Amino acid sequence: MLLEAKNVSRQFGAFFAVRDASLSIAQGEIVGLIGPNGAGKSTFFNCLAGDMPPSAGQVIFDGQDVTFAPPETHALAGIGRTFQLPATFEDMTVLENVMVGAYLRHPHRNAARDRAMEVLEITELKDLAMQRARTLGTPGRKRLEIARVLATSPRLMFLDEALAGLTPSEVQRAIGLVRRIHGMGITLVIVEHIMEVIMALTERVIVFNQGRVIAQGKPADVVKDTQVIEAYLGSGRRKRRA
Amino acid sequence: MSRNVKLGILGLAAILLLYPLLFSGAFALNVGSAVLLAAISASAWNIVGGYAGQISVGHGMFFGVGAYLPLLIYQITGLPPLAGVPVGIALSIILAIIIGLPAFRLRGHYFSMATIAVAELIRIFTGTWEYVGAAIGLQGPAVGRGWWDLTFRDETPYYYIFLGVLAVVLYVTYELQRSRFGSYLRAIKSDERAASSLGVSVRMTKLKALVLSAIFTSIAGSLYSIKTGFVDPESGFGILVSVQMVIIAALGGAGSLFGPLVGAIILVSLQTATNTWFGGGGSGLTYILYGGIIVLIARYEPGGLYEYWQRISPRLWRSRRAA
Repeated sequence: MLLEAKNVSRQFGAFFAVRDASLSIAQGEIVGLIGPNGAGKSTFFNCLAGDMPPSAGQVIFDGQDVTFAPPETHALAGIGRTFQLPATFEDMTVLENVMVGAYLRHPHRNAARDRAMEVLEITELKDLAMQRARTLGTPGRKRLEIARVLATSPRLMFLDEALAGLTPSEVQRAIGLVRRIHGMGITLVIVEHIMEVIMALTERVIVFNQGRVIAQGKPADVVKDTQVIEAYLGSGRRKRRA
Repeated sequence: MSRNVKLGILGLAAILLLYPLLFSGAFALNVGSAVLLAAISASAWNIVGGYAGQISVGHGMFFGVGAYLPLLIYQITGLPPLAGVPVGIALSIILAIIIGLPAFRLRGHYFSMATIAVAELIRIFTGTWEYVGAAIGLQGPAVGRGWWDLTFRDETPYYYIFLGVLAVVLYVTYELQRSRFGSYLRAIKSDERAASSLGVSVRMTKLKALVLSAIFTSIAGSLYSIKTGFVDPESGFGILVSVQMVIIAALGGAGSLFGPLVGAIILVSLQTATNTWFGGGGSGLTYILYGGIIVLIARYEPGGLYEYWQRISPRLWRSRRAA
């Protein structure tokens, strides 16, 4: 297993945002993480990416215990992530943004620059290289976030709603990009609301509700699972039908 | 760098080099070296305050340590004040690490307030400590015993020493700007969380920036006390010393290479002008001037003159070409 989370919990006071969540991800998979708003997906994500230490449990990446390691250690180990709200470096150019990521494995300026240009090519941002990040719109920012992470040469990438807020045609373009990244041998975990994206991209889906994993399996099967339907639509629907 | 920028830098360098020849009066030279000294300390501040965005309002602590040590070493051992410069640097590095480790747990305003508190504590403490001259301060050699005491009657040597140090600070900043370290500093300034997710060790990087900044600020302090041959708690650790660095860098453009130099030229000239026009009766005017500049920068151009120039210069070139 590339990534294994064992009984991860995260408490805020008496409230469990994540409770006993376990998951294992194999090298080369694309896994979707779905669930209604407030299900604890982002918190779980943050625990896995090192942004927030779990209150209990263990996270193991490629045999290395990274449960309480800081985010930079995760990056160095090969775990990359994007943010739900794009966190691009606004006053830096697109190229400089990507170079921050590239510097992780290429300490010298020219090597980092070459690596960044390579990534800009893959992410179709090359034409915008010299523009400041703040001039970009939402699709550009989301793309830039992905590019920055890609420049760190990760083995596993967490995409936190990287496609939310895009128009249908932009979504198609982004799906193409995610496929290319997967084709490069990078394992992907995607948090997403758009079912179209999940259906198109993922081989396996993990459904989260009230801090717990309530179902997992092939996307087509999961959407028929009664527990999942209840989580999204409430139990009233079944009662009314009955 | 574009051709225009290179020409601008060459022009600025030429003016700075030739200034003592063009304006040979003692007054003009005094103003010139005051500008350079202010530019050195503001450029030093710029490394951590401008590039990394960690607004320290307590940099007077490093300036003060740098200013006190040469005169202290002279008073105790009789060695030339110059011997105290490396000691001041070493102490400033230690101070930067001791302050930085806890203070960088704080962000934004809280960090700034912590730095003010520490600088004020040191100032008050120094003012009551007999060993370092208490409230009266310390004095250097009244008459130079040789060139190594660096007590010149003429202003010109000071001017060129300051210019040389400024060149070194700016060169280091220029190299930093182009390196991984500089890139990480700017990333931290923009978004710490994103920076660390990309593998930047945020606290370590900030600490390195603070140490580098403290080294140059300490040197600026040493230059000040060696030239004036005197330092007291107010002129070494006073809050105005710290605030001046912030205002100069912010005025010219924090986080830009030449911003602090431009800011120093403008602010020191203004200060000199108010002092000359109003004499001793206008000593409070410095505060009013600082306050006014803060209001203007905050309201109209938070990026300072550098940002303003970046915005208008493309338009200028275009209109010139069109004409």
